[in-house]
Amino acid sequence: MKIVDNKKFCGNCGNHTVYHFPDKIFCGRRLEADMDPVMDTLGRCGDWHLADQECYCVREAMKNKEGEATKSSSVKAAKL
Amino acid sequence: MRREDIIAEQVQHIKINGKLSVDELIQEFSGSGSFGAGRLSTACNIYERMVRDESCTVFLALAGAVVPAGLRSLVADLVRKRLIDVVVSTGANMVHDTIEAVGGHHYKGHWLADDFLLYKYHVYRIYDVFVPEEDFVKLDYALTKIFDKIADENVGRALSSQDFARELGSKLSDSNSILRAAYETGTPLFIPAVRDSEFGFAHWLHASRKNVKNVLMLDAFKDVPEIVGLCKRSAKNGMIVIGGGVPRNTVQSAALASKKGMDYAVVITMDRPETGGLSGSTLEETVSWGKVKDQADKVMVFADAMIVFPLMIASVVERLGDNFERAAHGKES
Repeated sequence: MKIVDNKKFCGNCGNHTVYHFPDKIFCGRRLEADMDPVMDTLGRCGDWHLADQECYCVREAMKNKEGEATKSSSVKAAKL
Repeated sequence: MRREDIIAEQVQHIKINGKLSVDELIQEFSGSGSFGAGRLSTACNIYERMVRDESCTVFLALAGAVVPAGLRSLVADLVRKRLIDVVVSTGANMVHDTIEAVGGHHYKGHWLADDFLLYKYHVYRIYDVFVPEEDFVKLDYALTKIFDKIADENVGRALSSQDFARELGSKLSDSNSILRAAYETGTPLFIPAVRDSEFGFAHWLHASRKNVKNVLMLDAFKDVPEIVGLCKRSAKNGMIVIGGGVPRNTVQSAALASKKGMDYAVVITMDRPETGGLSGSTLEETVSWGKVKDQADKVMVFADAMIVFPLMIASVVERLGDNFERAAHGKES
């Protein structure tokens, strides 16, 4: 998979491994730096670097995010 | 030898009339005495003699991915029932034991999977067993904290792999864990190639953090006198080998170094001897080194350990009966 829209996310950073697929990743570099290593797949920190793993993390996290957005807008619409 | 001595025993054809217990089936195999059936029935007889021999310490050498494939609880039960006295394992099998102990799982998969698709979903394949990457990652994360504790409790002391396994087992609460069972029963468990597994990478994570207080230290050479001592102190020694590799070599080398030689040996493997690799080497070859006695009760079973090992255990447990009790062997004196 090519990186979605060339955007920089934890889920397409070279440091990521999966913590809870697809929404959470684990970052070994953050652990090394004594920071919380669990990040949102669609999050990002200043240490991002490109190393395309060709994985589905960003694609699937995007789908989940869009699904949640659709759900919450339909809830809002229903309330209205 | 006379001709009638050579053709003395007829092949008894296998009969399955109605329900058979596992041991009854093994007895049918014994009647046949042929090919894998004959070897498996001989393995059952040898293992039974091993555990009934009060002077024998029983070593289990564990290689190949049998823990992720489903032998974990069986091995833990054998340790708890003292039907195994010493475990020598690959790092990987104990890693997979720990993965389940900290909440991870192994999944039924398929050998015809689309491996690049698995890669994209961060799923690892061990033949037809799947392991999600997050279960390794959660293991690593848990281990960094466990390694911190072990290091804090052992400042300035390098552990043997046996010490490491005991410390790790003490910090797991899953009663189905092999490491936990070994810790609770005081059963020596060695992981001679501990670094060659996820334990090595978890150690790297633990040690490379900016503010790490104490780094866990291991000294693999400490294993040598410990395991040789176990062989030396025991009047007799027996080994069950699943696969081969480093665990088989560790057990056999201890038998050699203690000048004892194994009295009993069952090797379950599908490897071949022609490459010179240990996993396929015949027990006759092992005799030339003095690792197994010439007169030892021994057999190799060329079959999938996932089938043969549980059959062998079920058969022997059935023979031993519910009231069989075995004294502890192999503990440090």
